[in-house]
Amino acid sequence: MRLIASHLSRLVRRPASWITLGMLAAMIALVFIALAATAEQTASQPGGEAILQLLTFPMAYAFVLTFAIQIGSLFAVIYFAAVAGSEWNWGTFKNAVARGESRGRYVLSAYVALGLLAGVGLLIVFLIGVGAAAVGAGIAGVGTDGLGDPDALLGLPNQLWRAWLALAEAGAIGFAFATLARSSLAGVGAGIALYFIEEFAGLLLPDVVRWLPFQAASAVIAGADTSGISGGAGNPLEPGIALVIVLAWLVGSLAVAAIYSERAEITG
Amino acid sequence: MTAPSGSGELALATRGLVKRYGSRTALDGLDLTVPTGVVYGFLGPNGAGKTTTMRLLTGLLRPDAGTVEVLGRPFGRSDRKRLFEVGAIIESPSFYPYLSGRENLRALAGSGAPVPRRRIEELLELVGLRDRAGDKVSRYSLGMKQRLGIAGAMLNDPRLLLLDEPGNGLDPAGIAALRDTLRSLAGQGKTVFVSSHLLSEVQQLADLAGIIAKGRLVREGSIASLLATGGLVRVRVGAVEVPRATEVLAALVGASAVRVREADAGTLEVAIDAGRSAEVNRALAEAGIFAAAIEAGSDLESIFLELTDHGAGSSENGVRSLGGAG
Repeated sequence: MRLIASHLSRLVRRPASWITLGMLAAMIALVFIALAATAEQTASQPGGEAILQLLTFPMAYAFVLTFAIQIGSLFAVIYFAAVAGSEWNWGTFKNAVARGESRGRYVLSAYVALGLLAGVGLLIVFLIGVGAAAVGAGIAGVGTDGLGDPDALLGLPNQLWRAWLALAEAGAIGFAFATLARSSLAGVGAGIALYFIEEFAGLLLPDVVRWLPFQAASAVIAGADTSGISGGAGNPLEPGIALVIVLAWLVGSLAVAAIYSERAEITG
Repeated sequence: MTAPSGSGELALATRGLVKRYGSRTALDGLDLTVPTGVVYGFLGPNGAGKTTTMRLLTGLLRPDAGTVEVLGRPFGRSDRKRLFEVGAIIESPSFYPYLSGRENLRALAGSGAPVPRRRIEELLELVGLRDRAGDKVSRYSLGMKQRLGIAGAMLNDPRLLLLDEPGNGLDPAGIAALRDTLRSLAGQGKTVFVSSHLLSEVQQLADLAGIIAKGRLVREGSIASLLATGGLVRVRVGAVEVPRATEVLAALVGASAVRVREADAGTLEVAIDAGRSAEVNRALAEAGIFAAAIEAGSDLESIFLELTDHGAGSSENGVRSLGGAG
């Protein structure tokens, strides 16, 4: 616990934590304001009513969450990779090992701290997104009666939990890349590359790509998303299977990072 | 400088330590013996294997062959907790640039053995960073980072301190303060192992010294005995006077102690204590030879240069022990 608390304390003070959160929150708020601002024009166009529904609660809950996850996965890859790589770049992992700390314990506790912070960040972004959607609904003249929909509210914890797991898995991929590369930059680059390779490869090889980490994560969210607007591969995994696959990617990534750290020769 | 306490227990020992990076051999059978309660200066030119040794002693690297003993017991893969009693700066101090000095020490204290919070304040005071402890490390000078690194190494009140070039970036006052602190620690029975290329610093600070070249220890012993046996006086005379000067000096100190430097025409090296340089001058003058220059090399620098220039040759026959090793 001391090690996790120490990691958390550092992460909270790290400017990148707040920049990442701020960018994600700003993007989600802007999307809803933009939707609201153009609502009058789009409503009269074919399919425009569906756009308006994105501002309509309770469906807006799912849209906020879906958006937070799809963009958040990319942010998670970058943020987790930046943190994991900087431990090698700055020599702070070396410091801990030279103080007799267990390498695996240090790496895993760093991940746990990142995961906890990602959960808090997700909650904050979700609340900001819901607030922005409510404001957008007001601007667009859509009612907000559905905000208190009991079924939607009861389903939120399940949706949030799945979203958190998806973010944690995406982060674990970046974390493992950066650990293997011993570099923030290389980890971030590899994580982003995989994210976009999956996106594009999904068009050509959907049956293969749906098993890959980001598409599987999207399918986990789709399972919780009752609105049906989630993206992902054309043939997504069934949510229960996706959950297992996401967990497997998460555990696998962390195992690789921990084992590599245990065996690594620390020369930098 | 105090004499080594010589408690009998070894703070640090390596036997036949070998480390290779691919085809390059960084350490080639290193044997170190560091008694408890001394300041040990670990000297060597760049690339000699000093930092590799430090990394092996702190478990950052694993040896290809040989053994390491830390604080009297074998140190292997499963003995990481032995490092709870060791403090170290390896290569250069490492910090989170966005945290303050105080926060960095707290972060460091979050790993390894637990550290009381008041210890951090004590150390900030000790290294003279109390007033700047709230500033971000990214705004620290090199010397301030070095001082913070020393504080970090001392967090656990370690019995053994391993410092890689601790004088880097320190101003003269900082170096003097560091010297006092390290001497004081040795006085309390702790062991300080300092790698350095600042030879004069080691000469003033250390009780014992080991000189490493090409991954092997070429000399180990007390500073006093090292200086006593390793003195060197360089004499420059006219090139045509070299044969006559060699005869005169050989008569004074023995033929084996006089060497003509082929690479530096007119220069002779006399292996005697620096205190006898006037005697050399007088002998030459009495023979009608007036030296253009006389350099007394009775410091670690000349010994160091001699050993590391010709270190490989010396090491073929093993380490030349100088005695008085505490």
